[in-house]
Amino acid sequence: MMNSKNILLKYKKTFIALLLIVLTFVVGELIMVGVKGADPGSFLSVNQVLITIKLATFISLFGLCEMIVISTGGDMDLSVGWIATLAAIFSTRIMDGKNQNLLIAILIAIGVGAAFGLLNGLLVSYAKLPSLVVTLAMGNIIQGLINAYTTGIHISGEPSPIVKKLAAKYTGIVPNIVTILLILCIIVIIIIYKTKIGVKLLSIGSNPNTAYLSGLNIKLIRMIAFIASGAIAGIIGILLVGNAGTAYKDMGSNYLMPGIVAVVVGGVSVKGGEGNYFAVILGAIVLQTLTNLFVSLGWGDAGKWTGYGLILILMLITYVRNKRSR
Amino acid sequence: MALLEAKGIKKSFGGVTALKNGNLTCNCGKITGLLGANGSGKSTISKIISGIYKKDEGTIIYDKKEINFSSPSESKQNGIAMVFQNLSLIPDLTVWQNIVLGNESKKKVFLDTENAMSVSKSILDELNPRININQKVRNLNSAQQQIVEIAKALVSNPRLLFLDEPTAALEREEVKNLFKYMRKLASKGVGMIFTSHRLDEVLEICDDIIVFRNGEDVGTIDFEKEGKDKKTILSLLTGSSDFNSTKKVYKDIKDVCILELHDLKHGKELNGIDLKLRKGEILGIGGLAGQGQTELMLALAGYYNDIKQKAILDGQEIKLNKVSTMIRNGIYLVPGDRQKEGLFMNCSLYQNMLYSKMGHKQPLFIPRKKYRDEARQIVKELSIKTDSIDTVVLTLSGGNQQKIVVGKWLPFDVKVLLLSDPAKGIDIAAKKELYDYIMKLVNEKSMSAILYASDNNELIDYCDRLLIMFEGKVVKELNKNEINDRNIVAASLHVKDEGGELG
Amino acid sequence: MKQKLYNKLKFFTSKQEFSTIIILLLMLVGMSLLQNGFFTRRVIVSNINAFLPLILLSMGQAIVIVSGGLDMSCGNAMALMLCAMTKIMKADSPYTGVIAILVCILLSLAVGLANGFLVGYLRLPAIIATYATSYIWLGLALFITPTPGGEIVNWFKIFYDFSAVKGCAQWIKTIGSVLAPSVIMILLACTIWFFIGKKKLGRYIYAVGSHDDNAYYSGISTTKVHIKAYVINSLFIMMAALYFAGQNGAGSANIGETLTLQTVAAAVVGGVALSGGKGNVFMAIVGAIIMSLVSKIIYYINVPSAWQSFVSGVIIIIAISASAIYSYAEKRNLLREVN
Repeated sequence: MMNSKNILLKYKKTFIALLLIVLTFVVGELIMVGVKGADPGSFLSVNQVLITIKLATFISLFGLCEMIVISTGGDMDLSVGWIATLAAIFSTRIMDGKNQNLLIAILIAIGVGAAFGLLNGLLVSYAKLPSLVVTLAMGNIIQGLINAYTTGIHISGEPSPIVKKLAAKYTGIVPNIVTILLILCIIVIIIIYKTKIGVKLLSIGSNPNTAYLSGLNIKLIRMIAFIASGAIAGIIGILLVGNAGTAYKDMGSNYLMPGIVAVVVGGVSVKGGEGNYFAVILGAIVLQTLTNLFVSLGWGDAGKWTGYGLILILMLITYVRNKRSR
Repeated sequence: MALLEAKGIKKSFGGVTALKNGNLTCNCGKITGLLGANGSGKSTISKIISGIYKKDEGTIIYDKKEINFSSPSESKQNGIAMVFQNLSLIPDLTVWQNIVLGNESKKKVFLDTENAMSVSKSILDELNPRININQKVRNLNSAQQQIVEIAKALVSNPRLLFLDEPTAALEREEVKNLFKYMRKLASKGVGMIFTSHRLDEVLEICDDIIVFRNGEDVGTIDFEKEGKDKKTILSLLTGSSDFNSTKKVYKDIKDVCILELHDLKHGKELNGIDLKLRKGEILGIGGLAGQGQTELMLALAGYYNDIKQKAILDGQEIKLNKVSTMIRNGIYLVPGDRQKEGLFMNCSLYQNMLYSKMGHKQPLFIPRKKYRDEARQIVKELSIKTDSIDTVVLTLSGGNQQKIVVGKWLPFDVKVLLLSDPAKGIDIAAKKELYDYIMKLVNEKSMSAILYASDNNELIDYCDRLLIMFEGKVVKELNKNEINDRNIVAASLHVKDEGGELG
Repeated sequence: MKQKLYNKLKFFTSKQEFSTIIILLLMLVGMSLLQNGFFTRRVIVSNINAFLPLILLSMGQAIVIVSGGLDMSCGNAMALMLCAMTKIMKADSPYTGVIAILVCILLSLAVGLANGFLVGYLRLPAIIATYATSYIWLGLALFITPTPGGEIVNWFKIFYDFSAVKGCAQWIKTIGSVLAPSVIMILLACTIWFFIGKKKLGRYIYAVGSHDDNAYYSGISTTKVHIKAYVINSLFIMMAALYFAGQNGAGSANIGETLTLQTVAAAVVGGVALSGGKGNVFMAIVGAIIMSLVSKIIYYINVPSAWQSFVSGVIIIIAISASAIYSYAEKRNLLREVN
C-alpha cells in the first residue's frame, strides 16, 4: 500500500511548488524588511497571503483551461484570454446590473466560449494544425471582433449583484472567489481522476498510441478538451467582470501567459497525461507571490514579465528537456 | 589478405545476450555473405564493427590494426561504410545533395555543386541510370531511395562495406546492376559483407558465407572451394533438430472458421494476405523479420484507418479501419512494442489497467474499488512481481511489463487474441511463464489466437498451424506435424529447389 | 511542341510559389485601383518603408522555420533592441550612436545565442521556449523603457531617410530617393541569405529542418546549425531595430507584440512549411508584402481599422490550412505514384 515515502515521491513536484511559495514569501519578507526597511509583516502576513491567493485566483482559473488542453498531449490554448474578454462584454450587457438575466448571461458566455473552443478543436485535432499558431490567430480574430464591437461605444452594463458578491467581496477575511476556487479545485480533481471523462483525457495524453489501441477516439476527445477550455474561459469572463465591476478591452489578455506558466511551475507535465489542478493553483500562487515581490521592489510589469519568462524557461529545462538520446 | 578479422565478440543488451562468441572474417576484394535467422546475432556484429554499438568483449582487427570505433562517423572516416535499412536520407534534399551529404567539397568559398553532381551521377549511372539526380528524395519510391542510400555509402570510397538487406526493396533489374557494381568494387580490392533474406541472391553474389545461430558463428562455406549446396547451408542454419519438449495440448479444434481475411493490402508491407482462423485454434505467423508480420497484426487490430478490405468475423463482415470496431467485436491486440503501443509507461499498474478499459462503455463515475480489486486479482493470477498496483510500470522488468499488456484484457470477452511477438526481448524464464499463462488463458476461455513470434521456437511450441510470410504475402502453410525448425527456416528463406520447395 | 509547352506550364503552376505570386500581383493591381499614384516612386518607397520591419523579421523567421524551429520572440526582441538604443543615445552627443549600435549588436547576439541554445542544445520545444523568451525580452524592454520615450542622434536617421540627416551630401540624397535605406536593407538581407545558401550552412539548415535525426546520422552537428539559424535571424531583427530607431526616434516596449505572429503568417504565405526543410526564404518577402497590403486594402476600402486583428487572424488560419492541405496532397500524390 501507499506509505509516506511513496506519497512524497508521487507528489514531489507539488511539494516543490509549495516549497517555492514559502521560499518566495520568506525571501520577500526578508528583502522588504531587511533591505528596504519596511515594517515587518508588510509582505508576509495572513492578510497578505489571502490577498495573494485572491489575485492568483484568476491565473489559476486560466490555468485550468490550459491544464485541460495540455493534459491531452501538449497542446496549448492561447485564445482563452480573449474568449473571457468577449464573454465579459456580452454578459455584462445582458446582466445589466440585475440578477434576473444571470442565467442567460451564463449560458451565453458558455456558448460563446464553447463555440470558439469547437473551432479551435476542429482545426487542431482534425485538421492537425499546430495549436499555438491556431489559438493565437483565433485570439486575434476575437480581439478584432471585440475591437469592432466596442469602437466608439462605451461598454455598457454591470455585473449582477450575485456575481459581484462572488467575485469581488469577502466573507469574513476570506475572499469569496478563493472559496469558489477551492470548491472548483475539488470538483476538477474529482472529474479528472474519478470520472470516465477525466480518465480518458489523461490516457490520451499519457500515450496516444496505446490509448488508440484501447479503442479511444483520440481526435474527438482532444476536440472536447478545447471545447471545455473555451466554455470555462467564458465563465471566467463573467467572474472577471464581477471582480472589476465593468468590462474593458484587455481584461483577460494579461492572464494568459501566467496561466500557462502556472501549469508548468506546478509540475504538471507539459507533454500531457497529468491533471493535478491543485498543483496548478500552487503554481499560480508562486507566480503571484513573485509579482508581489516585484511590485514591492518597484519593478512593476517589467519585472513580472521577465520573471515569468525566466521561470518558464527554468521549469522547462528542469521538467521537459528531451533526453539527448544520442 | 584479411581486411577484417573479428574474434570472440560478446555483446549483451540488458540481460539478454545477443552475441556470445562472434567471429567474422572478410578479405579484400571478397564478398562475404552473412546468414542467420532472427536473433542469431548477425546484425549485432555488423553494427558493432561499424561503430553503432560498443562490444563488451573481443577484438576487431581492421587493416592490420586493432580498432574500437565508437560512432558511425568515426568508422566512416576510416573507410568503413554501411548501408542499412533505416535510411538516413533527407527527404527534402535532392538525390545528389543527399549522396554528398556530410562529404561536401568546396570550390573556393562556396560549395562545389558541379563536382558533387558529377560524382553523384557517375555512381548512380552504374546502379540505376534512370534516377534523376535533381529529384527530391521524398518523391522517389523505396527502391530508388535504397539505391541513393547505397550511393551515399559508396561516395566516401570505403574499403569495407556493409550491406544489410540492400535488395529488400529493389527490383530484379536494379539487383543485377547492384551486383555488377559490387563485383567492380571487389576487383578494386573493396571487401563487402552482404545480407539478404533471398538465399538465391546470396548464392549468386557471394564468394563465401558465414552462418550465425544463437549468438555465434557456426560455420563458413567457401563457395569456390566447397561449392554451393543449399542443404548444407540449411543444416548450418537450423543445427541439429532438437525437437522441443513442451507437451502439446491437443485441443478440440472445431472446423468452424471464426475469422477470415481476403486479399488484405496495405501500403507496401501487405501485398494480399489470405487467412482463415478456426475457432479455438492458435494460428502462427512466421517468417524472417520485416516481412509484414507486425503490420498484419496491427491491421487486424484495426490500427490503420485507410484499409479498404473487410474481415469476416463469425460470418459477419466488419470494417478493419477503426480499433474501436475491433475491440467491440472481441478482437484484442497484445503488441510487441510495449513502450509505444502496449503500455502507459509513466503510469502505475492500476492506471494502465484502468486506461485500457476506457474504450469500453463506462459508468460516469469510475468504480474505483471494483477496478482496483480487479487489478490485484490480475496481478495474482499472472504472478506479476510488484509491491503494489501503484508502482509505475516503467520500473518493472520486461517480463512483468508484458504480463500487464496481456493481463489488461482479462476482464473482457476476448474472441480473438492477437499476439504480436509478445515475448520479444524477455528472458527465457519469464518467456515460459508468459506463454504458459497465455496458453492456459486461451484454452480455458476457448479463445482463438493469432501468434506472431520472431523466435521460431515459440512458434514450434505453441501453434496449431503456421503461416510463413515473405515480402507481404503468405508463402507457405505448415500443419501441426510439419512445424519444425527446418521447415520454418526453409519456408522463411523462400528457397525453391528445382520443382518444389525445400523442406 | 505543344506538349512541351504544356508540360512547362504545368511545372510552373504546380509550384506553391506560383499561386503566392499570383496573389501578390492581384493585390498590387487591386491597390493601384484603390490608391491614386500607387505606382509612383514616392508611394512605392513609402510603402517599402512601412513594410520593412515585417519583411526583415519574416525573412529571419523563415530561416528559423526552415531549420526546423520557430521564433515566437522576434517582435519583442526587436523592441528590446530598439529601447536599448534609444535609451543610450543622447541627441546632442553623436558618438552615443556608435555605442548604441555596438549594444544592439551585442543584444542581437545574446538573443540569437539564447534562443539557439535552448532549442538547439537543450532541445526544448521551440514554440514554448521562444514563447518564454519573448516575455523575457518584453520585460527587459519594459525595464529600460517603461513608457515610450528615448531619443536618437541625428545621424541615426541614416537608417530611415538619407535626406533627414543633417549635412548629408546632395548626391547621396538623390540616390536615396530611389535606393532608400529600407531598400538597401532588403538588398543586404537578400545578399546575406544568398551567400549563405551557397555554402554548407545553407544546405545543412534545410537538411536539419527536413529530418533532424538523419542529418545527425549523416554527421552534421544539428546543434550548431540550429544556433546559427537563430543568430542569423537575430541579425535581421537587428536591422529592423536600426530602421525603427531611425524612423521613430523613440522606443516603445510593446511595439513588437503584434508583429511576431504576422512573421509566421508571412513565412507560411510565402510557402515555407512549418514542419521545416522546405520553402524559399526569399518568398517570405512576398508573404510579408501580401500581409502588409491586406492591411492597406482594408484601410482603403473603408473597413474600420478595428477589424485589422480579425482579418489578420483569419488570413493566418487560411494560410496554415492551405499549407497543410498542400503538404497532404503532396504526400498522397507520392503514394499514388508508387502503387
